[in-house]
Amino acid sequence: MKNLFYKTGALALFAGVLLTSCDPEIDTPSSSAGTADFSSYIAVGNSLSAGYADNGLTRPGQEASLPAILARQFEKAGGGAFEQPLFPEEQANGSGYLRLAGFTPQGLPITQPVTSNLAVRGQNEDGGPLYTKYTENVNNLAVPGIKTADIKTQGYGSTLGNPYFERLTDNPMQTYLQYVQEQAQAANHTFFSVWMAENDVLGYATSGGAFESDPKYRITPVADFDANFTELLDVLTADDQKGVLMTVPDVTSVPFFTTLGPSVKQLLGANNIPGMVALTGSGRDRMPFAAAQIGAAENGIYFPLTASSYATLVGQPTGKYWKDLAKQMSKSSNELVINFTLTQLLVNYAIDTTAMFGLSAGNPLPSALVLDPVEQARIKAATDGYNQIIKEQATARDLAMFDANAYFKSIQGGFAANNVAYSPAFISGNLFSLDGVHPTPRGYAVIANEVIDAINAKYNANVPKADITQYNAVLFPGRQ
Amino acid sequence: MKSRILALLGGTLLSASAMAGGYQVNLASQRQIGMGHTGTGLVTGTSSIFFNPGAMSHVRENGVTIGASALFSKIAYSAPESNEVTARTDNPVGTPFQVYAVYKINDKLAAGLGVYTPFGSTAKWGTEWSGRFGLEELSLSAIFFQPTLSYAITDKIGIGAGLTYVKGKVNLQRGIPVQDEAGNYGRAELDGDGTSVGYNVGVYFKPSEKLSLGINYRSQVDVDVEEGNATFTVAPSLKSRFPDTKFAASLPLPATLSVGVGFMPTEALTIAVDVNRVEWSAYESLRFDYQDAVNGSNFTENARNYEDAYIYRIGAEYKATDALALRAGAYYDSTPVADGYLTPETPDSDSRGLSVGLGYSVSENIKLDASFLYINKKERTDASDKSGGIAGTYKSVAYIPGLALTYNF
Repeated sequence: MKNLFYKTGALALFAGVLLTSCDPEIDTPSSSAGTADFSSYIAVGNSLSAGYADNGLTRPGQEASLPAILARQFEKAGGGAFEQPLFPEEQANGSGYLRLAGFTPQGLPITQPVTSNLAVRGQNEDGGPLYTKYTENVNNLAVPGIKTADIKTQGYGSTLGNPYFERLTDNPMQTYLQYVQEQAQAANHTFFSVWMAENDVLGYATSGGAFESDPKYRITPVADFDANFTELLDVLTADDQKGVLMTVPDVTSVPFFTTLGPSVKQLLGANNIPGMVALTGSGRDRMPFAAAQIGAAENGIYFPLTASSYATLVGQPTGKYWKDLAKQMSKSSNELVINFTLTQLLVNYAIDTTAMFGLSAGNPLPSALVLDPVEQARIKAATDGYNQIIKEQATARDLAMFDANAYFKSIQGGFAANNVAYSPAFISGNLFSLDGVHPTPRGYAVIANEVIDAINAKYNANVPKADITQYNAVLFPGRQ
Repeated sequence: MKSRILALLGGTLLSASAMAGGYQVNLASQRQIGMGHTGTGLVTGTSSIFFNPGAMSHVRENGVTIGASALFSKIAYSAPESNEVTARTDNPVGTPFQVYAVYKINDKLAAGLGVYTPFGSTAKWGTEWSGRFGLEELSLSAIFFQPTLSYAITDKIGIGAGLTYVKGKVNLQRGIPVQDEAGNYGRAELDGDGTSVGYNVGVYFKPSEKLSLGINYRSQVDVDVEEGNATFTVAPSLKSRFPDTKFAASLPLPATLSVGVGFMPTEALTIAVDVNRVEWSAYESLRFDYQDAVNGSNFTENARNYEDAYIYRIGAEYKATDALALRAGAYYDSTPVADGYLTPETPDSDSRGLSVGLGYSVSENIKLDASFLYINKKERTDASDKSGGIAGTYKSVAYIPGLALTYNF
């Protein structure tokens, strides 16, 4: 029986020992940088790297930028400080942005521009905004709106250039490429990310291919992209630095192009209208299309979100679009000037505003409100061209590569994480912000985790994933 | 169109469980907890009302027992590929309790009443963790009232049966993944209760001085919540999609079949072995039916597809003196939750229990029983993709001291 005493005592002792180590623990792998070195990380890119969302750049948006999220995770694997050209706190709304104000009876979101607490320090000669300067050295070199085609353009940092670049540099003649070189030297970077090329097709796409005479809305030729992109990478890998490249997603699959179609299709169906007529390209060519083509996989027709306010006018004798365009182009409030511009437009495009809008050859849908199959094919050819170069460069320079194009294709049907549904759907999909093109902070966090996968795989690293639930999606009106 | 845009809003809202896997709480008697919660094949005293009503008629004297445990449970969670523990529960202390009264009507017949809490679950994850849209907080409890009769057919065989009247209560809180203009997430709270009836029958057989056997069946009880309150806090612009409403749900408390053996090699030593078969397969899905459509739907349903589970128990009691009894026990409890179905309500896995206890007779009539149980569930990683759960790695432990007072007369 002595034995049993001993056993009972031992059990009690065992229980006592367990009590002292009360909290359950989980053995997790430890974070590491593998063969990469995140101690000085710089990010090069456009709005997608700047933290742009809801049609604007704000301080909260900057704080949730893709590179900032990455840097936060890199920090757990030896990463260093990551400076961003943040707008001052009292000017946190930066460029201004769109907020959700409600829904139309048709159920489309009503957005409202936020114009308080802006970081606007003045206007340039054209009346465009100039933003509060930030010319100290930074790690996030991203400039909203920049094309790969722009990186060697002198004057791009002047007051007549890109205001987001102008605020970063004191030298109006400095090109973006020179700025990157200067900042890369200052940072003595060990790691970099590059996500360019989106804007090389986006302007053309969102304007429905209507304004090709303006370089802002033109597709960058693949050869030009190749030359500039190569030079950019030469700068970033001058000392054999490691990094990650990202491909361009299919810009036509974002909510900006997929949201409006179904309601137009419904409207046509309800009124037994078999099809519509639209202008195509930047000329006066008419292109009829069938209702069934709207949103279709083959020969599809897409409407940009900018067409929302005109979609309800279909079938009416109206010249509203042309009047609005004339006002915008005239840069004058003088009725005579506007009317002169309007008359010119109507003659140029052979428009009869008494005909049924969108349903007649006399008054077709304006090209800017339709992305037709011909325009899509041009976008796809350019996108594929850029992406092939990006992939080849990643291989040639032995860099990690996140295929954003393939990723966004793979999530078209949606997915769930943490009991939250995600999809490319407008607003309800949680991934895209109110401009329908740029991700929400949550969307950026989702992308960051995919980028981390690519980096971990390439460099045998173990950078932990971000908790995406810590980042906002679309905010709904009212305070609960 | 609005409904199209908002159709998927909140995603899998309210799809996860109001209950936990393995939400059975086997803490029915302080003496038996000390012995690994065996007792089907023994005369356990007043607690035979629970363990085996057939043995109640073999209890020698009238008695009343009041006891309770303090349940300290802790769960750690590591999000997939996070390389760290990303959340811990802050569970309030659970207080399962038991009250038993046995009255010997005559030598053969005994009547008894038991009040005990064999099911329950509490998990408080908070409003910050990455799984808050699955669960922020759950509290589930069920109180059983069981009037019981037991008859000793001979001094070797006893049979007994009890009717169980069950009061169940559930409160579930979770985040809704929609944000107001200040970035606050929506919240849902489901609160309801229901009652039900079941039974508890057993046969006790003691072929010799050194051996006893028992078999016990506690029926399944479905706690039906008929008029629960569903309350939603969301941005005012979304309130019409999330109206406060009533809900109905049914929670199966599964049947348990137990077989037990007792060995008494000497007068001072008792060794017991039990096997429980818990018929968890009754829990196929969790469905909430709403009176008014919530986010466009009148119901939500999530698969559970639990599997029947077995628990293997062993325990011993040694009477060191006439007044003092020392106890120890252990058990192995296999999880009813299949891969892919893990939820944060109770992130269940195979669990090991280790217990010690002691009994002390203060006087002829008054006895104290104390127990301590340590439960260690195996670390479990699950994709939780079939149940609307939260993927990740979970590890749970529990420390459960308990005390009971018995008065015999």
